[in-house]
Amino acid sequence: MLARIAHELFWLGRNLGRAEHTARMLDGVFHADLQGRPEDPSGVTLSWDSLLAIMGSSAPEGDSASRDVTIAALTQDATNVNSVASCVARARNGARSLRDVISAEMWEAINTFHLELVDQRVSSGPYAFVSYVKARCALFWGVAARTMLRDEAHAFLDAGGRFESADMVLRMLRVALPPVGEAGEDGEPSPTRDGQALALLQAVGGFQAYRRAVPAPPNAAPVASFLLFRLSYPDSVAASINAARFALSVADGNPRASEPVLRLSRLLADLEFRGRIAGDGAGLVEACEIVGRELALADRDIAERYFGGTATNDGLLRR
Amino acid sequence: MRFDEIFDGAGAPRPDAVALAAELERLGPERLLAAGRLRDAIFMQQGITFDATGNDGAVHDRPFPLDLVPRIIPGAEWRHIKRGLAQRIRALNYFVDDVYHERRIVHAGVVPWALIASRSHFARAAHNIRPPGGVYCHVSGCDLVRDDDGSWYVLEDNVRTPSGISYVIENRIAMTRLVPSLFGRYRVRPVDHYPGLLLAALRAVAPAAEGEATVVVWTPGPMNSAYFEHAFLARQMGVELVEASDLVVRDDVCYIRTTNGLARVDAIYRRLDDAFIDPLEFRPDSLLGVPGLIRAYRAGTVAIANAIGTGVADDKAVYRYVPDIIRFYLEEEPLLENVPTYLLSRPDQLEHALDRLHELVFKPTGESGGKGVVIGPHADRATLDALERTIRADPTNWIAQEVIGLSTVPVVGPDGELSPRHVDLRPFAVFGETIKIVPGGLTRVALREGSMIVNSSQGGGSKDTWVLEDGLDDHAPPARIVDRAGPMLPDLRLDSWSAQQQQQQQHARDAR
Repeated sequence: MLARIAHELFWLGRNLGRAEHTARMLDGVFHADLQGRPEDPSGVTLSWDSLLAIMGSSAPEGDSASRDVTIAALTQDATNVNSVASCVARARNGARSLRDVISAEMWEAINTFHLELVDQRVSSGPYAFVSYVKARCALFWGVAARTMLRDEAHAFLDAGGRFESADMVLRMLRVALPPVGEAGEDGEPSPTRDGQALALLQAVGGFQAYRRAVPAPPNAAPVASFLLFRLSYPDSVAASINAARFALSVADGNPRASEPVLRLSRLLADLEFRGRIAGDGAGLVEACEIVGRELALADRDIAERYFGGTATNDGLLRR
Repeated sequence: MRFDEIFDGAGAPRPDAVALAAELERLGPERLLAAGRLRDAIFMQQGITFDATGNDGAVHDRPFPLDLVPRIIPGAEWRHIKRGLAQRIRALNYFVDDVYHERRIVHAGVVPWALIASRSHFARAAHNIRPPGGVYCHVSGCDLVRDDDGSWYVLEDNVRTPSGISYVIENRIAMTRLVPSLFGRYRVRPVDHYPGLLLAALRAVAPAAEGEATVVVWTPGPMNSAYFEHAFLARQMGVELVEASDLVVRDDVCYIRTTNGLARVDAIYRRLDDAFIDPLEFRPDSLLGVPGLIRAYRAGTVAIANAIGTGVADDKAVYRYVPDIIRFYLEEEPLLENVPTYLLSRPDQLEHALDRLHELVFKPTGESGGKGVVIGPHADRATLDALERTIRADPTNWIAQEVIGLSTVPVVGPDGELSPRHVDLRPFAVFGETIKIVPGGLTRVALREGSMIVNSSQGGGSKDTWVLEDGLDDHAPPARIVDRAGPMLPDLRLDSWSAQQQQQQQHARDAR
């Protein structure tokens, strides 16, 4: 298939994945931010500053970010390239050039999504907005699953969506995890950071899954292990990478010689190994850094192999 | 003059409620009504409902009635309540232990044995069983009320299966979604860690097991009015929700039936009364029970929360003795007062109370959930006459209490305007290794004007209860969680085909 089409499909998936995860993070932080510091410190939360850090930006004038500023910037602000509205606008523009490839229902789903955001027909209340975005994204992926031919085109779309999931969840983890060497009193992990892990889990909607899968209380180390390594949880980094790898190997004529597929396979094997030895949460920060680096390289590999590109922007390989 | 918790006698907001009153004023009736409609829609969608019998006699699913005006409890006041409750629960726990073992309190002449042994929830089957850690009242919810001068009283103890915690948590979630601006200047203590506390407590009392203890929530079934809560707790704790047919006892060990055969159960959080849990020991006609469970319990292979026989401690006749119970076991003065109570089993108190039929509140001792309660001042003559006949026939199962005014908090009426309604408070405590109490609790509110009946089955609603953090300066914006900078992450990638082409052409030109 045309490199341009593959590229648009891949980024359609990525933009929608980003919109959804941004909305989910906002929901988690917003809910937790309204309440105070709990007696049981495992409830302390991701802050607005963390949220901006995840999105790769920081608060204006070095101040602590306020709730209203952050929400406005990340939801309907069309001038912010990372707002949900901007992500959806890009996804919709991409979809417009793909109308012969994707089904009519998919196009309608994404176009309606975009138009309602542009016309400000969506309630600006944070809860209503977040529910709307989640529902629309779910609608798009559901319609895609039912109506789109399982060909290369579908594989690239899927690969983009899952790749973005892996990237976003990993970003959340890197911001929420206590850095190496930081420990609270008595050598326990800092409770502040512990609580961020819980907020994060609730943000991605994985709280019940975690409760069913892991007997440990939702502290930083077990939550991070769950979100990083657990293959049976669909939004974990490992599961997303696995799905992206599978999609690319379907799309690729010769997956055994494909750098991105090989790189992701290697990364998965590494993740599995680390997941087995990371019983006490040691090495999680390091693992996150390595996965972050490998994902950036895989992103470059994908662009080079499939999109005929030198498509790397400057931020890509920093750190 | 009733005590209102938001506005003082002159109609001005109390110090801690200034910001709340201002924000309610700013929102105005229209927006409050709109938020109310959204609330009903969300609750119906999420299935947060209860069954109410409509005027036509049919049973309808109604959205749980959450009022949008929160109730505020200042931090210092909450600390007093918390200490008082912990004291009370510790004493009641000693009492249950004593009743089924040495009976020191009886020998000391503090509580008469005849009274204890005649309580309907006194369980002979629990005699000489000491559960792990000596904890009986793992979960408790005492009902508190405030009198005309604002002081707090304990109205009832509940150490069997108090319900309502799921509504506390769901109410908070709903409030942050529906009226986030009300939280504006407040730092409200979170409540959503309750399931974690409960799970930790159940694991702490489970008999030593290899690896993690298996905990289950035992529900009587989907027909039970609190089924929503049973499912909620099981889901939040990530444990199985079981019914009697899922449980089986073999050789004094309790198991659940799974697709992989039987699996050992270490702790059961049961949501049904003693009388139903084991047909071999209690009611033989119970279809909800598990034969042999008490044998396993006695053998110490399974923990049951709350323990068997705790009902003796929350009986309304024993309630009268709780201040003495606290003094006896803890050698402390009670921090929270009892409502003045008369035992109708004593002839002098019986006559005194019957003379004041129209002034007192009458309660059957073994009931809960407001069943059978008659409020003298609100009852008509015929009801009171019938009541007198009932009591005279069986005075040991009745108590009388002085009427407590019950404080008020404004609610949003059908027209969007605020008007005061009576409230009570049920805080929830979990007793595992230590006693932990979730900040606030369930505030129930009587939605009819002047009514003091707060039970949701009888037209009551609920409110989100805010326990404030200390040290909030009214004039400064609340402290945000300030966070050390995390690792700098690369910018999010943005990519478009045309930009890429330009870049490629640029590269091509550079190469030339």
